[in-house]
Order: sequence, then C-alpha cells, then structure tokens
Amino acid sequence: MRSGNAVEARAVERVFHSRKRDIHALGPVDLDVRDGEFVCVVGPSGCGKSTLLRMIAGLVTPSAGELRVRVKDGRPDAAMVFQDYSIFPWKTVLANIRLGLDLAKVERREADRLARSWAAKTGLSDFLDAYPASLSGGMRQRVAIARALAPNPQILLMDEPFAALDAQLRQVLQDELLEVWQADGRRTVVLVTHSLEEAALLGDRILVMSNRPGRLLADQEVPFERPRRPELRATPEFVAFREQLWHLLRDEVRSA
Amino acid sequence: MTTTSQESGNEQSTEGHLSFRPGPGDRQPAAYARRRRSFEVAIAFVAPISFFALWQIASTSGWLDERFFPAPTTVWSTAVELVRTGELQESLAISTRRALIGLAFGVVSGCAMGILLGLSPLWRAALEPFLSACYTVPKLALLPLLLLIFGIGEAPKIVLIAITVFFFVWIATMEAVMSMPESYREAGRSLGAGPWQAMRHIVIPAILPQIFVSIRLSAGVSILVIVGAEFVQGGDGIGYLIWHSWSLLRAEAMYVGIVAVALLGFVLGEVVKWVGRLLMPWAPRDAGRAVM
Repeated sequence: MRSGNAVEARAVERVFHSRKRDIHALGPVDLDVRDGEFVCVVGPSGCGKSTLLRMIAGLVTPSAGELRVRVKDGRPDAAMVFQDYSIFPWKTVLANIRLGLDLAKVERREADRLARSWAAKTGLSDFLDAYPASLSGGMRQRVAIARALAPNPQILLMDEPFAALDAQLRQVLQDELLEVWQADGRRTVVLVTHSLEEAALLGDRILVMSNRPGRLLADQEVPFERPRRPELRATPEFVAFREQLWHLLRDEVRSA
Repeated sequence: MTTTSQESGNEQSTEGHLSFRPGPGDRQPAAYARRRRSFEVAIAFVAPISFFALWQIASTSGWLDERFFPAPTTVWSTAVELVRTGELQESLAISTRRALIGLAFGVVSGCAMGILLGLSPLWRAALEPFLSACYTVPKLALLPLLLLIFGIGEAPKIVLIAITVFFFVWIATMEAVMSMPESYREAGRSLGAGPWQAMRHIVIPAILPQIFVSIRLSAGVSILVIVGAEFVQGGDGIGYLIWHSWSLLRAEAMYVGIVAVALLGFVLGEVVKWVGRLLMPWAPRDAGRAVM
C-alpha cells in the first residue's frame, strides 16, 4: 500500500447471490483515497455506492479484486455513520457517543470526557441523558456523527447520513459537518450521497458512479478553496459547478 | 359561514358547510381527561361487582345449589378462616416458590436457546423443527415421566414449569433476534464490537422488550401449570387445596383457592411489568402492553 493513501481499491467487484439470480452490484472499481481527503460518491440509486462504503468498513467482502484499508488493531481504522436505525434506543445520548470508546475498553473517565467533548462540538450538550426516542431526526444524526468520531478513527464513512432529514435540516447539518470537519484537522472522509449540492459543498473530490454494476464515470476535483463557508452555495461558481456535475450524471439517472 | 350554538363539537350548518368547533375535550382538556380516567376506573369495577352481586342473590335465594355455589359472603368468611389458620398463605407460598423457580429456569434456558437459534442459521436448521414439534406436546402429559425420572419431590413440578416456559420464551426470543434491524448489528461491528460485546450492548437490549412480553405470558402459564400439577400429584400447594377441598365437598374453600390463584397471577404479572420498566428505562411506559 502506498503511504499517503487511506483506501486503495484495485478492480474491486461485488456480486450478491440470491436464490433467484445473482446481482452484479459493483465494479470493477479502481480508487485511491488519500489521507485527509474528503471524497464524495454520487450515483443513481442501486449503483453500489453503499456497497463500496460497507466494504471499506469491513462489513462486506469484495467478490473480486482487492481492497486495502488502513487498519488499527487489526480492523479498519474507520467508523461509519448510517442513514438511520443506527443509534441505539436503549442507550442515552452520552452512552451512544461513548460506545466505541467503551468497546475499545477506554477508561471510563477518559471515555466520558471525550464523549462530552464530541457532544459539545455537535450541539448535544443539553441532551446527554436523553434517550433517542425523545430526539428529533436531526439530533439523532448528530449523535450518530459524534459516536463515529469519538473513537478518533482515521477514516469516517458516511452512508447518505442526511437523506432521511427534511431539506432545511439537511442544509443545517451539512453546514455543521463542514464546520466540524474543517476544525477537526482534516480527517479522511468518504461520504455517499444523492445530493450534488452536498457533494460540491463538502467534498475535495467527487466520484460519479454509473448504473449497476457501478463503475467510476468521473473523478472530479472540487475547485473551491478551503476553508469553505455555507454561503458558498449561493455563488454563481457553485451553481455552475453543480450543473456540470448534473450533466455527468443525468443520463445515468434517466436510464436507471 | 354560519355557526351553531350546540355544546358538542361538530355541527352541520344550513349552507351545506361543516362547522368545526372545539368540543368539551378541547375546551378543558385536563379536566376532561381526569373525568374520563375516573370513569374508566369506575367502570372497571362494574363487571366484577355485578358478577358477585348476582352470584350472592342467586345463591341466597336458592336458585343455585349452595353446596356447589356458596354465596360470596360464605366464601369470604371461609377465606378469613383459612388465613387465620395459615393454610392459605402456606399453600400460596409453596406454589409461588415452585412457579418462580420453574419460571427462572425456563426463562434463562429459553433466552439462551432463542439467542443461539436466532443468531445462527446452522443451529436453527439443526434444532428448530425438532423443538417446534416438541412445543405442541401437552407438557402436563409429561408429568408421569418426570415423576419417574425425578422422583416425587419438588423437582418434577419445577421441571414441568421450566419446560413449559422454555418454549414460550424460546420462540419469542428467536423471533426477536431474527427481526432485529441488521443495521443495529452493523453499527456495532463498525464500532469494533466483538461477539460478546455485541451481545451485551446490542442484541440483548434490542430483544429485551419482546423477552419481557414472553415472561409476562409465561408467569401466567407457570401458575396454570403448577395448579394443574398439584391437582394430580402431591399433598400441598394451592392446587392441592383446590382439588382436596372439592373432593371433601368443601366448595367454599375451593372458591377461596380459585380466587387466590387469580390474584396470584395478577400480582405476578404486575411484578414482571414493574421489573421490565426498571430494566428498560428507554421504553415507553406501556411498551409491553402495546405489543400484547
């Protein structure tokens, strides 16, 4: 593995076998994600972009090819934020955020301190003892993000983290993620999304994927300076860039 | 739009429009809810009180044979007598002890089997058909066999309850594990949970509500079973009291036993609900009730 790459995929494919037929979900895909890079993956529904993410997380193995991921203590040095159903209703906000640290057997006082500090960064300080059932969808995803970040993984994987939220809230959480990530010292992020705006605002690089079986159609550097501000959305350059992405993707979505 | 001066909420106006106005429950929601609750509590007593009143009248007026259907007042004085001699408490204590020990064994083994089969398709393939077939065997029919194996002490009755309870808890637990959202387990794995950590932090809390529903059902069933077992074997316990009183033509003592069993079942069910609330502070208050 070349140093400086958090993830390397070489001719990676994934086929899902079901009783009726085999589904070629992904690939072959070649991909490098550099350390500290924020990569967004966009593509039509069912193109295997979530599968790619789950392979990086070690939840799914490739059917062919090879995927190399930076490890710590023998497992991918990555944490995942899921779209929904991932924070645990039986744990308080604090216990949810602390879970990764508890599992790694971090000493309780230190784990509490780290969890509280991530809760503060994600605006959850007033809800530490609340159970998720009493939280709004936006709050729950903040918990999911804080929980993923608390064990300090080298790689953050996000699978359409804001897709279940309403449009205004989605924008608020995008802005917060932008701020947290830029303040956090440039952790590696792979974010799967449907939203070109989200990808253009957050990403350093955008990978556009084809219909199933998903392949890389384009690998697009995002031309905006860091640190970025949410106001970037309203600039003509941003709008033009989003249009350009849409051109790349439109035909794929139409034929999906 | 015309409006009406009626007390109740929604009224048809003359113009062919509907006029929606606040009803009594909207104008004073707190008072309305309070009255509603008192009313609900009150009507809960109507059924049992009318039942006992009718029984009392039927029995004292001679419509029912007093030898078999003694008046509730007679039953009550017998109950007072049985409490004074200690016979009732002793019988209840013996039966409760058997039921609880059997329940505990049944719940623990049922949970363990349910989790094993829920998580492992291989074990499921190996054991589920066999266990499903055993589930339908009437467990009381096994009592003679259990007596043969375990002798005539406490063991056969406790084992009988444990076997009965095992199946209830096993099925509920296995189904709960299998219907657990996959993303719970994936979230655990992505945070680095090993198999035992996943069990403790994810699987067990996720299935706990369904387990408690099955324990509530099992608590009632364990009492049914212990009473049945005491009917046919042994010389103590509340089931023995009921059966023995009947054979001595002491119907009033039999009714005392029957009512005591009903109350015991009720209390046990409430205790299980209370423990469930203690163990599951995240669940809404009546979670178990909603599932049932």
